[in-house]
Amino acid sequence: MQKSLFYWLKQLEAWTGIAFIKQSINQQGYLSLACLVALLMLELPAEAQSNRIVQGKVESETGIPLAGVTVLLKDSKVGATTDISGNYKLSISGKTSILVFSHVGFISQEIRVSDQTKLDVILKTDSKALDEVVVVGYGSQNRKDVTGAVATISSENFNQGAITNPLQQIAGRAAGVNVTQIGSEPGSGPSVRIRGITSLVGGNDPLVVVDGIQGNMDLLNQVPPSEIASIDVLKDASATAIYGSRGAPGVIIVSTKKNKSGKSSVEYSATFSVDRVAKQLEVLSADEWWQQAQANGVPAAANHGSNTDWFNILSRTGSTQNHTLSFGGGTQNFNYRASLTAILQNGIVVNSNNQKYIGRIQATQKALNDRLTLTMNLNSGINNTLGSPGSIGRAAFTSNLITNSYLMRPTDPVFNTDGKYYTDPNVFEYFNPYAISQTVVNEGRNNSLFGSLKADLEVIDNLTLGWFGSWRKTDNNWGYYLPAVSTVAYAINNKGVANISNNRQDEKLMNISLNYKKVFGDHSINALALYEWQNQTYQGNFTQVKGFINDIATYNALQLGDLSRVQPGDFSSYKNDRTLVSFLGRINYSYLSRYLLTVSFRKDGSSVFGDNNKWGSFPSVALAWQIDQEPFMQNQKTFNQLKLRGGYGVTGNQQGLFPQNSLSLVGAAGVTYFGGNPITNFNITQNVNKDLRWETRKQYNVGLDFAVLDSRLSGSLDAFTATTDNLLFNYTVPQPPFPFGTIMANVGSIRNQGIEASLAYQVIKSKNTSLTLAGNVSLLANKVMNLNGSINGVPLNTDYIPWGPNSYLIAGKPIGTFSILQHSGKNENRAETVVDVNGDGVIDQGNRSPDRVLAGNALPTHTYAFTPTLKHKNLDVSMVWRGSGGNKIYNGLRQTLSMMENTGKANLLKSAVPLDLYTTQYGSNLWLENGAFLRFENLSIGYSFHPLKLKSIEALRVSVTGSNLAVFTKYSGIDPELNVSGGNGFGGDNGIYPRTRSFAVGLNVIFK
Amino acid sequence: MKKIIIFSCLSLFLLPSCTDVEEKVYDKYAASEFYNSLEGADVALAGVYSKIGGNWGGVGYAGADNGWYDLNTMSSDEQVIPHRNTGDWQLDFARLHLHQWLPTDGIVGNTWNWLYNAIFSANLAIEQLENAKAAPAKIAEAKVLRAFFYYLLMDDFGNVPFFTQNNVTVDKIPQISRKELYDFVVKELTENLDKLPTTKGGEFYGRFNRWAGYALLAKVYLNAEVYTGTPKWKECLSACEQVTAGGFTLHGGAANASSPLGNQYYELFGDVLPEDETILAIFARVNVVSRNIYGIRSLNGPHALEVLGFSGWNGTIVPKNYYQKYSDADIRKKQFLIGQQPGGVNYSLEVTSLDNPGADRNAGVRNLKFYPALPMDGGGASNDFPIYRYADILLMKAECNLRLGDAAAAKPFVDAVRRRAGLAVLASNPTLTDVYNERTLELNWEGHRRQDMIRFNTFLLANEFRGASQNHRTLFPIPTSALNANTSLKQNSGY
Repeated sequence: MQKSLFYWLKQLEAWTGIAFIKQSINQQGYLSLACLVALLMLELPAEAQSNRIVQGKVESETGIPLAGVTVLLKDSKVGATTDISGNYKLSISGKTSILVFSHVGFISQEIRVSDQTKLDVILKTDSKALDEVVVVGYGSQNRKDVTGAVATISSENFNQGAITNPLQQIAGRAAGVNVTQIGSEPGSGPSVRIRGITSLVGGNDPLVVVDGIQGNMDLLNQVPPSEIASIDVLKDASATAIYGSRGAPGVIIVSTKKNKSGKSSVEYSATFSVDRVAKQLEVLSADEWWQQAQANGVPAAANHGSNTDWFNILSRTGSTQNHTLSFGGGTQNFNYRASLTAILQNGIVVNSNNQKYIGRIQATQKALNDRLTLTMNLNSGINNTLGSPGSIGRAAFTSNLITNSYLMRPTDPVFNTDGKYYTDPNVFEYFNPYAISQTVVNEGRNNSLFGSLKADLEVIDNLTLGWFGSWRKTDNNWGYYLPAVSTVAYAINNKGVANISNNRQDEKLMNISLNYKKVFGDHSINALALYEWQNQTYQGNFTQVKGFINDIATYNALQLGDLSRVQPGDFSSYKNDRTLVSFLGRINYSYLSRYLLTVSFRKDGSSVFGDNNKWGSFPSVALAWQIDQEPFMQNQKTFNQLKLRGGYGVTGNQQGLFPQNSLSLVGAAGVTYFGGNPITNFNITQNVNKDLRWETRKQYNVGLDFAVLDSRLSGSLDAFTATTDNLLFNYTVPQPPFPFGTIMANVGSIRNQGIEASLAYQVIKSKNTSLTLAGNVSLLANKVMNLNGSINGVPLNTDYIPWGPNSYLIAGKPIGTFSILQHSGKNENRAETVVDVNGDGVIDQGNRSPDRVLAGNALPTHTYAFTPTLKHKNLDVSMVWRGSGGNKIYNGLRQTLSMMENTGKANLLKSAVPLDLYTTQYGSNLWLENGAFLRFENLSIGYSFHPLKLKSIEALRVSVTGSNLAVFTKYSGIDPELNVSGGNGFGGDNGIYPRTRSFAVGLNVIFK
Repeated sequence: MKKIIIFSCLSLFLLPSCTDVEEKVYDKYAASEFYNSLEGADVALAGVYSKIGGNWGGVGYAGADNGWYDLNTMSSDEQVIPHRNTGDWQLDFARLHLHQWLPTDGIVGNTWNWLYNAIFSANLAIEQLENAKAAPAKIAEAKVLRAFFYYLLMDDFGNVPFFTQNNVTVDKIPQISRKELYDFVVKELTENLDKLPTTKGGEFYGRFNRWAGYALLAKVYLNAEVYTGTPKWKECLSACEQVTAGGFTLHGGAANASSPLGNQYYELFGDVLPEDETILAIFARVNVVSRNIYGIRSLNGPHALEVLGFSGWNGTIVPKNYYQKYSDADIRKKQFLIGQQPGGVNYSLEVTSLDNPGADRNAGVRNLKFYPALPMDGGGASNDFPIYRYADILLMKAECNLRLGDAAAAKPFVDAVRRRAGLAVLASNPTLTDVYNERTLELNWEGHRRQDMIRFNTFLLANEFRGASQNHRTLFPIPTSALNANTSLKQNSGY
């Protein structure tokens, strides 16, 4: 029968609580409604009836219950899904019916049921796993149809343990996806580089897409890790070109868990970990220090007679808790999932912690006889951080708080006899790190809210009209109070400094799409056309007041400060925005399921591009050949799967283009004295470049997917070459005529070439036991092709640009190539000597000095991971070993802590004693170390209790995980995993928040 | 029919500015509109003055560190920051004093970059003032400012790139000779000085009025022989006479308990500089406009903490030979600190090593000529800085008269300066050496010393820390960064 519009609107009203049949709809609403009405005039078939119940259990060949198996009554829309114990229940009608059992990675089965009510089924694994769904940009595909280089990691393969950020779950799991965690500061997430560094100042963070919502890396921090169903990483340009000017650094697509229709669930999972400092530097004890002090002529007055372990009093045993309660339910047309997550971290440095709370709800409603699907997401998060001060120090050395503890003389007391914090006026800018840890207030609150609505309407068969809108708001509020009692000179000078900064982000995105899917005989086509509009607005303000009578109100009452101390820079505000408009299209075509073609095209216009380059085009093409499907392959037994892929694409990167970069603007520049008064000074804030544009990355990729030995050995091999042209950089310009020495322009190019391989071998595959050895390797060669060109016809001469301590950008060499003086010994005053390479009697320390020698590079040339998994009955064991190498690290911290001349004011490393260098004026290769490492990242052992004969609990899993269990490296610092992400401090070690070694217990309960 | 419906639905969403990607600016002004207003033009002129004050990052004429002031004082015999054997202080300052500076040294690069940044803003101001049809006096003021920066470039670097319009490419910017630049500076000054107002103080405090302009011209002429080979003593003398017409006198030198260091004389280096003697000053209010670090930079930590309330930097010292030129009767000797001090610090006369192994913590005579004026903190004080003052002009007059052969005419000028310092007048007519010595005593730490030593041929002579240095050290090298960015530049000979 045909149902009226009235019926459907009533239904909609019932579900949503929104009264549609009232007059409170605005003008635009009426128009939209009119459209809806028009579309609803299409014929809508009636629903099926039901009257009988069939139930049973689905297991794998090895006897493990299978959850999430779809059970469908053939030729109908009646269906169910198995629960965690593999059970299903389905009501059907008619005497004889066919049930279809299907599940990702298994061969579907059709079973005829007559009058039985119980039906247990064993599903055979589909060794080719070709039905795995891969989420690509603006859509999804079956693995077998994918033409680009896309890595998919689903939740069952995630790393376990005390996870605080989604990226930690995929570290080591995909070739070419390098997840780096620098230290374990609460609230800090890892960084990720996909196929190396693609940009110098343009930004290397991939685009993050969470259920269609696009954002930067901070978006990942707002997603509860335990609620993620899968993470897809788009690596090559044929896959990322669909994201146009944001696609160059790669794309990470996160799909969150959704509830299955017809099943309600309540699940609680938790981990608790104890976190300890994995490694600390060995500095001199009080006695050893005094011995060295005497040997180096330090006056006795510098020995204050205490015995303080500064590192110890500033560190502690930390903990991480992770709780998620999720529940969901649904009927045939409707399902929802809601969850509440709390991630609570107490850092290993005193007074550093982070609390993250995320609530989310996701609902899907089908209507119009399943032709309309509405999906809504709402996610709200609170993130509170108490931060350990990040950058403090004396004039010669600045680092974070805990690193400064190494510099403290062990003979200094923490307190004076009068109970005040100890300081020593004889040491320039002396400060007491314990006083800082106890008295500085440094706390942040981040509130985020994002929601989206997706509406897909199957207008006619095979043609879907989609609308997607998302809105994300982030409010960041940071309060800081540096009291005079903190012993920091700046605070003493100003009698306390308090400031508050507020930053707001408002991101809107809307797209409209048309999708057409059709199979014509041997031809299959899937075409997409899409218009997208997005706008991001950034706004904020900063207020600072100095001079407080006491420290009671900290930063909470700025009006209590001394207004006569107000200075330029104490208050400021800003607002800017960027708009991106895009048109894109994509066609996936397949012939005989053997020959696959993907073509895409995107046109982007952005407000941040210079006037002369407002619009850019980003095309891509990819081909794949399923060789094993060829008739000539039917008689061979070697290959169970063989697929060859190749693709080319052009992508852009506009992260480095900030709003207003291309304009000549006047801003405030402090105060100038003129006309007898100090007045606001104005200044041109930047060199102008109207030609400013996105970086262009052209990438070729060739890949091979295969499975042999009865599919027990499977893997992928990819090779790529990617060149970034129009490289954004602050190029050196002559001064004069330029008022500044650099200008942001698109001139040079860099290239990354790489090979990635991932392999998995099922060593044991039996009913009770399976052992899989998996791993991946990536080789990466990186080169600065060119940093030169011209601006307005004037040649630039940019080369040997410092890119980290003693590392440079040199044309023809990898990014961050060390060019460094050669240590040769020490002179009679124990001062370091270096080789005068060109023999001119002068040691030149300039960037292009002939006394410098090329000595390797800061960027690893290879990364690898080994991830074996063992399953035996209800027990599972998994490991992650991860490593990288080919790089060097300039250990600046060791240099600082090795100079005997510092003995009078600071502590030294134990290793400084045999070195016995009094002073140096060079940064030589003495401090350059091998950065290769192999980390035993994760060991997880889990046991699942199921089936459980408990009334209220359906399934239970307990696990223990050890993280960062061992590091094999020659590097002498606390951890060799440092900043290899590009940008400031690249390739150097100036002290980091310590990395933790943690032991976690985990619990997962599914309630009935 | 369906298609029509779909497309009309689509267009509904697309209509509102669907392809508008124009950039909107909410929090800054567009440069072209801003500077083309009269207010904007005034601001452009004020912006040029903002370049003169010293601040972090090696910018400015004087008041902070790592810039023009350190380059021109530490390379002379009047001050230096030794590397300390406690590991404090980088070697850049010692290298300046030892005449071992390198083209890659940061202080050299900072000075160059600062001057060209300042010239850029002067060019901009001139262009904007002319566009806005501003008063000729203002345009003249901007041109004199530009001449001032070019004079400093000429003095330090010799042959340098020259441009007067910002909107040119580097290939249109020639590296002109020191002589050509000298001619430009002289021409620019002589054409514009008489357009400058004669107002002293008030809204012209810290600005180029006519008297400050002539003081600058006198300096250019004073060193003309160094720049071009041709002396201009007469011209210098007449420019000094122009300054005298401004009605300047020497500030008093009487004991005054309320003045820093107990003498009125030190008001010349205090908060607001007295109008009687000061010709051109840099206004400073720490953390607001410029700063003056020279007091706190010199004292050792506990000493400064005791007497000033903020920890000292234990930096600058006065070499023994320089300190010993002062006689005990001289009120100008009060600026030096030696021996036991509050805070348990005892400064010694001797400094045994500037670089390696470095000086002992308390080695070296300290200086408080710029006795910190309030407001102050550990990052500096608010003393204004005298670029030109009348005592300098008097000694320049004496020097010109002597060079022109009239020793008798020179005597009253030297005597006036000596009398104010509490010293006896000269028994006979002064010699050039007397003038040089008096400049040594009167003008130390004020940024003139390197220029004076070069003019009197003492700059390259051996001193207590080094042997005689090579001829090319009378000029600084063009910084490596500038040579790299503009490969057509020619380095000064010897580097």
